[in-house]
Amino acid sequence: MRSPVLPLTWHLARSAGRRGLQSRLLAAGAAAVGAFVLLVMVAACLGSGARADRTAWRVPDAAPARAATAVQATTTTYVRHKPVTVVSLAQLPDRGPTPAPPGLSAFPRRGEVYLSPALAELVRELPARQLADRFPRPASYGTVGAAGLASPDELVAVIGRAPGDPAVSASAGSLGWYDEGQTARAGITGFAGDKPSLFTGADQQTALLGAVLLVVPVVVLAAAAGRLGAARREQRLAALRLAGATPRQILAMTAAEAAAVGAAGALAGALAYGALLPVLAEIPYGVGSWYTGELWVGLPWLAAVVLGVTVLLTVSAVTMLRRVAASPLGVAQQADPRRTRVIRLVLFAAALVYILQNTEGQLSNRRLIVLLALFYGVFWLFGPWVVDRLGRVAGRFARRPATLLAARRLSDDPRAAWRTVSGLVLAGFVAGFFSVTQLDIGFPEHPDQVAVVSQDAADARHTAAEARTLLDRAGVEARVGTVDDDDFSGSVLLGNAGVVARVSGGPAQIDTAITALTPAANGRLPVSQDYVSAPDATVTDRIATVSAATLILSFLVATASAGLTAAANVLDRRRVYGLLRLAGTPLKVLDRARVRETVLPLVVLAGGTTAMGVFGAYQLNKAAGATVDSSGALQLAVCVTAGALAMLAAIGASRPLLRRVTTNPAQTAD
Amino acid sequence: MSIVLAGHGLIKKYGSTTALAGVDVEVAARDSLAIMGPSGSGKSTLLHTLAGIIRPDDGQVLLRGERIDRLGENKLSALRRKRFGFVFQFGQLLPELPAEENVALPLMLEGVPRGQAVARARRWFAPLGLDGLEKRRPGQLSGGQAQRVAIARALVIEPDVVFADEPTGALDQHTSEEVVRLLTSVTREQGAALVMVTHDADVAAHCGRILQVRDGRISSHSQYTVA
Repeated sequence: MRSPVLPLTWHLARSAGRRGLQSRLLAAGAAAVGAFVLLVMVAACLGSGARADRTAWRVPDAAPARAATAVQATTTTYVRHKPVTVVSLAQLPDRGPTPAPPGLSAFPRRGEVYLSPALAELVRELPARQLADRFPRPASYGTVGAAGLASPDELVAVIGRAPGDPAVSASAGSLGWYDEGQTARAGITGFAGDKPSLFTGADQQTALLGAVLLVVPVVVLAAAAGRLGAARREQRLAALRLAGATPRQILAMTAAEAAAVGAAGALAGALAYGALLPVLAEIPYGVGSWYTGELWVGLPWLAAVVLGVTVLLTVSAVTMLRRVAASPLGVAQQADPRRTRVIRLVLFAAALVYILQNTEGQLSNRRLIVLLALFYGVFWLFGPWVVDRLGRVAGRFARRPATLLAARRLSDDPRAAWRTVSGLVLAGFVAGFFSVTQLDIGFPEHPDQVAVVSQDAADARHTAAEARTLLDRAGVEARVGTVDDDDFSGSVLLGNAGVVARVSGGPAQIDTAITALTPAANGRLPVSQDYVSAPDATVTDRIATVSAATLILSFLVATASAGLTAAANVLDRRRVYGLLRLAGTPLKVLDRARVRETVLPLVVLAGGTTAMGVFGAYQLNKAAGATVDSSGALQLAVCVTAGALAMLAAIGASRPLLRRVTTNPAQTAD
Repeated sequence: MSIVLAGHGLIKKYGSTTALAGVDVEVAARDSLAIMGPSGSGKSTLLHTLAGIIRPDDGQVLLRGERIDRLGENKLSALRRKRFGFVFQFGQLLPELPAEENVALPLMLEGVPRGQAVARARRWFAPLGLDGLEKRRPGQLSGGQAQRVAIARALVIEPDVVFADEPTGALDQHTSEEVVRLLTSVTREQGAALVMVTHDADVAAHCGRILQVRDGRISSHSQYTVA
């Protein structure tokens, strides 16, 4: 016989009326937001990995001297503080042909210059003496295609050189740690290297860090969506049980409905993700905006996320109903408080000790992510225990009815109270963590300097004279001097011998000076503070971007789940609220109790996690040998305040619902 | 005998349905009135109108001679809190509060310090046969015990009138008998009036008077001498 579950579920869903539709729409909306955020996270992780791969060709893939068919010298110069990757290529005589680099149709011939579209535009915009004169000036420029670029905004030049050109000579190669990730030279046979550029190498791990921090708030949101409509399901359970339905049929109906709502919402989220891909691609991260294709996660990931959100929502709904099924009078009449055991504290303490012991010394990003995931996991166990104890203490000392009600609610079902605030509490950890993770390695800053590396002091003196002439000719006002190779802090050369020009004026003058001094640099390009700062600034910049995005998304998702949970709580308890109000209990007392029920654990737990986040980041900074940047304190204060206000607003949003469900609950003609 | 609560010419309509079609009713202190009638007869509407929960379209509701049907929502809410007690069929107790705090809640809402409120609440447990159940939560009480806690909560503020809406509707016959006997006797001992809606004639028989309501009108009015 055909199962009646699906037809009955469909029939009941259709006849649930406006309120039923509203709660389903809300649940589907939450599922859509969850799926959307998850897909964006996956896209950011996969996309940043894919585009890092697209920069790998620029790092010379060294081949044995005898086998090399060409010489590749890659370096980095800066214009308006933005990095320009310059790849010089020279085909060696009497060797086999070298394949074309990605983005070009053929290996560049001597004198040919290919520019990425963004660099070509900049070359057109800026005076030649600020940028274009750093490179050879062909009759016309070629274009580096998308295959050779990580982002449409990337600034890349590929220049064909003669084998004897100083730009591909040994002097154009790396000077060791000073040039790490920015300048390298080697004989090559092709472009099959797999080491990503300095400017994209950290992107994926940093995005992954943000994704790990965001997973929990998203899971909480999906679970909150699953709880919506629990009260209606309780009523349905009772009515259907009376009509002869088995518990298994009830669970199947609930699962079918929740799965349908979850799948519809998750699909809508996936569609929104697909439709918004071009918009998402415009959001800059690292080297700039994205090629749309880089952010496409592919059908398997899309299906996995839709399925994951649907399963989460379904499991949450069925779990709620199982509790009701176990006790037919429902959650409102539960006999025993859901106590939490002290083992939660023990596990948390043990995990914390483990984490603290393992944050000594340098941490790989992978290890950091594992430790963060562990911290989140054990905090998920620990949170309800804290809420339980907090409820008991507050219950003992409460003087006002609203505080007493809130305290008893907390200790009555600490897991439910924890769920309401968990998103924001864990977001507090993110806020705390990133507020001090503004790595400041503490190298000296010389923003007015442009320097040229020399072989020795004599060479430096000779180059200094040439540099004065070149700068004078370019109209740059500068004091030119030489530095020895034992001067580690007085110039941007950091222990290399050379010539330093202290330039008066802003970025335009610095760019003019770099361009003017290029002929004196013996095949290398002149360096500025940007070159020296790049390795640390790149990491700091990525972390700042990810932290801002993670914080905003965490707070949004956490606020949405708090709002949903607050609304679900009102609906779950509408009978008791209604009867209390009918007996004269002021609405504001019920409302204050609701707010305190959230604020009490929020203040204690979010305060705690924020402090832990700060401490964790401090440990990380210490491990990296960096000084702590206290400017993040303001960001932290803003985030915590905004998060708390958003949470209160989310709870306040269900106040009209509370008013509506408690107004004359027994108004019938009888 | 002084009239505590009176309704004169009460009319209430829901769209085209007339729930009350000009009802007159009076209740004195220590008086107990059962309102009976078939479903849709208007008995609950009458109780809610007398309790200031519903405003009549016409007519007056007087509490100790003062009109209450034109009071604003806040004043009505305060009046219900301070001078009326309520007992409903079920689900009126907060599940997370122990019984004694459920009873103390109306006092705390009136600003009585928590310690005093709980102490006053506890005094009601022995007379209502709830001794030893003070710390139990509603989920740990039987249906009859929960209703007795609800009666204690209704009486703890020493109200002028106790309104009971099907207070035994969810109980078995034996427990119903026990609960309604307590409700009527304790209310009378407190000097309060009792207005109770019920569909059960045995329950109604515990009241001093019975009003039969049909189609929004009083169809009969019986008076008993309750022992």
